[in-house]
Amino acid sequence: MGMASVNTASEGMQLCIFDLRRGQQEGQELDKILFFFPADLPFATQLSVIGLSEGLITFTRIFSPDAACEVIEAERHSHVFFEAESDIWMVMVVEKSKESKAACQVDALRKVLKEVHSLFVLFHGTMRSMLEKETSGGLIRSHLYPFITDYLSDFLIGKKLQLPSFHDCLMERGTVQMLTVGREAAIEVQDDTISLFTYAVLRLTPHALSSGATSWSYLQRTNAGSQVPALSTITNSGSVSDNIYRSRDTSLDQDNNCQVKRPLHHNRWFRGNDGFLASDIWGADNGSQTSVTPIVYLQLTEERMYLCAYQYKSLTIILLVPVSSILNGEQGLSLVKQQVLENVCVLSVPASLKMLRVEEKLSKGWGGENAYHVSGYRYLLVDDERVSRASPPAKVMTLAKDSLLAMSKLREEVNLEKKAKCSSSEVNCDKELEICVRAKNGAWVIARTSRGKELYMVLEKASETLLYASDAVEKFSNRYCSGVFSLD
Amino acid sequence: MSSSDSSSSSASDDPNPKLKPQPLESQFQSSLTLEDSDGVARTDDASVAEQQQEQQDEGSGNGSVDGVVNVEDNGHRDSSDREEGIGSGEARDGDGGSGGGGGVVWRRANSEVELEVEAPASPSSSGYAGGRGSSGASSASRADDASEEDEIEVVGNDDGGAVGAPDSQAEWTPGKRHVDEDDASISWRKRKKHFFILSNSGKPIYSRYGDEHKLAGFSATLQAIISFVENGGDRVKYVKAGMHQVVFLVKGPIYLVCISCTEEPFESLVAQLELVYGQMILILTKSLNRCFEKNPKFDMTPLLGGTDVVFSALIHSFSWNPAAFLHAYACLPLPYATRQAAGAILQDVADSGVLFALLMCKHRVGTSLKVISLVGAQKASLHPDDMLLLGNFIMSSESFRQVTSESFSPICLPRYNPMAFLHAYVHYFDADTYLILLTTRSDAFYHLKDCRIRIETVLLKSNVLSEVQRSTLDGGMRVEDLSVDLQQHTGSTSRVEDKPHTETPERIRESSLVGLGGPAGLWHFLYRSVYLDQYVSSEFSSPINTHRQQKRLYRAYQKLYVSMHSKGIGPHKTQFRRDENYVLLCWVTPDFELYAAFDPLADKALAIKTCNKVCQWVKDVENEIFLLGASPFSW
Repeated sequence: MGMASVNTASEGMQLCIFDLRRGQQEGQELDKILFFFPADLPFATQLSVIGLSEGLITFTRIFSPDAACEVIEAERHSHVFFEAESDIWMVMVVEKSKESKAACQVDALRKVLKEVHSLFVLFHGTMRSMLEKETSGGLIRSHLYPFITDYLSDFLIGKKLQLPSFHDCLMERGTVQMLTVGREAAIEVQDDTISLFTYAVLRLTPHALSSGATSWSYLQRTNAGSQVPALSTITNSGSVSDNIYRSRDTSLDQDNNCQVKRPLHHNRWFRGNDGFLASDIWGADNGSQTSVTPIVYLQLTEERMYLCAYQYKSLTIILLVPVSSILNGEQGLSLVKQQVLENVCVLSVPASLKMLRVEEKLSKGWGGENAYHVSGYRYLLVDDERVSRASPPAKVMTLAKDSLLAMSKLREEVNLEKKAKCSSSEVNCDKELEICVRAKNGAWVIARTSRGKELYMVLEKASETLLYASDAVEKFSNRYCSGVFSLD
Repeated sequence: MSSSDSSSSSASDDPNPKLKPQPLESQFQSSLTLEDSDGVARTDDASVAEQQQEQQDEGSGNGSVDGVVNVEDNGHRDSSDREEGIGSGEARDGDGGSGGGGGVVWRRANSEVELEVEAPASPSSSGYAGGRGSSGASSASRADDASEEDEIEVVGNDDGGAVGAPDSQAEWTPGKRHVDEDDASISWRKRKKHFFILSNSGKPIYSRYGDEHKLAGFSATLQAIISFVENGGDRVKYVKAGMHQVVFLVKGPIYLVCISCTEEPFESLVAQLELVYGQMILILTKSLNRCFEKNPKFDMTPLLGGTDVVFSALIHSFSWNPAAFLHAYACLPLPYATRQAAGAILQDVADSGVLFALLMCKHRVGTSLKVISLVGAQKASLHPDDMLLLGNFIMSSESFRQVTSESFSPICLPRYNPMAFLHAYVHYFDADTYLILLTTRSDAFYHLKDCRIRIETVLLKSNVLSEVQRSTLDGGMRVEDLSVDLQQHTGSTSRVEDKPHTETPERIRESSLVGLGGPAGLWHFLYRSVYLDQYVSSEFSSPINTHRQQKRLYRAYQKLYVSMHSKGIGPHKTQFRRDENYVLLCWVTPDFELYAAFDPLADKALAIKTCNKVCQWVKDVENEIFLLGASPFSW
């Protein structure tokens, strides 16, 4: 999975990040570009994309000062806007596919932008703070290029970028998929939880979703953090993307190039000497063999935390330890880790008894890939826009294209209704809404929102009547949503 | 280029096979006007008045596109009277026009609008508002509707408060308001729905609010956005920002833009832009494209001078006339025999060389114009959108609205043939009922006048006009009457068939004022017959009483329509939608579409049953509520 392919197969998509506080003088326009993908596009083209975006941000503020441009919909392209930080904009230009011209999932694409930004902030802090640290922009550019390129490589299928489309209308990016656990065991989901969960799914369990719990290659014990022999052949992708930003910013940061950390680099986690997951992404401690523990930033407080991950079978435990509470860096941290293992786990056995029990309990309770399949239903349940549960993707794929398109369109309508409701003066943003559509192909496409919960459902084999379809929703609601969507 | 040149080129360029060969004059006329103005446009500072003068001086007949020949029955019109209505004395007794005769008055809408602009505070003194004022009831009851539409988004800041307050009391008067505003005014920026027409060189042609001339810079920005995207090999459809949508429509050299925060879906707004464009074509024909080919900087504002009122009335109708999104027209409920009688005489006339004959009626307060009867010659068919635009043009132009007077005006039906002018003879029988005769011949005035006299005689003899008045007073279908039908009569009886003053319906209507709506919480319905291109709407009743509520329901229907007819995947078959305001049920079949609104707490099963009953009811009375048979609509 080399970066080169990302670069060459990109005619369908452009992604740029620019800072409106920079490059406002004639002749200095290039300065506002913080990131552009594909990087090999001529500057004139890059500037024209950014020029249009900037123009429309200014234009729309005439009428909508509080919410500037969100999307430009043209016949062949959608331009999706996201103001990641004040005056720092991310714009994604997506070519419309022939089959889904009508239904481009703008909201899902915006969530992609939001996700990559959250992950960036998780590992590097805000873009603005980085820009303030180093005003020439070299630092942020050298960080953004590998980070986003690594992120985008996840969307590569073959040589094509496969961005969210109507096929994905029954999943929700930017939410945590919760196991059904007791209320006391469930944690409160916050923005940081979502980022960490996303990261864990993206990079800590790369094989878990596709091939079950059998192969955990990165768990292999290795001696030195800097050597990953088993995986090095696959992960030689660095050079290409290194070239991307090198070619852009040669003058600026040739020197600190090697210090740029790539938290999204694939397959760089392995089991460290202490049993915790370790990675050489952050380099290794001088004089010691232990790799440096990654530090992440909490979104709200911007507090710096050590990220410690421990895995046992299909269980991953993430510990965040405030940097400020550890006095002497890695040394202090390893003491903490040791304490954790001693208290929670007993090192004599492969893992602790407690952890063993938790793992057993969860894997017994979790039915695997199809755990959340409910026969006859294709659904997505979103709670408070943070937690979601859905039919397994393989089951959703059995739906007819027309049903998916209809659902995709319906989700767009519901999002509009939600937005209208929230923008109106009413304090309560919750929208009570029930929409049942019988599509042309006879499928029932249903959306329900109630008390912060959203339920989307496609019933292809339901009978013709609305009452039957409503009844099916009612049953589902009573069984799986504690009756939130039931009428009585 | 000489006018005869342009007339021949106009004929040969005409791609539309539907129109039978026209007499040269009519071709001549359409191109001539444009040529004239083209010439005017080249002399940069030519004012509207100068242009008019120029046209007059040329003495080339019906040179004005927007001008309407108005023929008084009595043949005389006091000249001071004329001054008031027309402005700077440009009216003249026509002796060079093709329809020329002793009593022909040339009326120019633009002068009238100038009057209105100058004296907005005393509308009764202006030609337009005075005329509107006479239909006082209608204006008054539209007030809250209008004020809401016209309202600025957020009242409360110092500027907005000042502008917003008078509006909320103001009656809806046609024509442009807030001409003092431009894009720098906060109040202008906060208007809920802007419409712009501009040329591809960025010249403003029309703006719903504010002075076009002051909006030149803004217009250039719109043009820049469109052409920037176009240069990238693409075409911009819309831009979204918060609750705002900017919708673009490119029609050759004409750009149309709507900026709205009304929550209407993109599809609705673009359909409205299509209608605005259609309205412009109705006034000018599509041959105006040629002017832009010759001169990209061509300024067409003088050509549209005074038609502000037509556009603003059309835009206003987007918030209350279901015909605008249903693409169907409504009929006045009438006994079958009455409509047959009207149809027979219209058919008679159509056989004598009239292309279309329409007997129309402005039906009650706030509701759309309704058709009494219409016929087309041979295979000619009239698109519902053309009817909407034609009706709007005639009803919004005060020049037509003189009872017992006759008008003769060139118009173009964009769906019928966007390249050529037809000629419309318009006569009001009374304040609300009027006749339109359309012909391809510009010299047919006297023939059409004769036709009108024949029609009038028959209509009077067969009591059609009095039936029309009675029906106008009675109103249409009422949801309250559905329960009567279901519980007591079961079968084919209907409100429309009832004698006007039987006691039962009266009593029941009284009681239904206390209760809410019809059975099972039914509040309102719209039924569209697909084959007939017609729709019927129930009367608004409790609790949809105020115009604000009616507009909200209208918007909800519009959204539902778009959702059902979603491009690429529609039409859906059924939709049930419940929110805090309504339960909406929609049912689309190859034969009909039903849109029904219920109490939000309505029972699903009962609502479905009620919808079935509504469909049955409509079928039972379709003889009275629809124009059936001899349908010219054979697309």
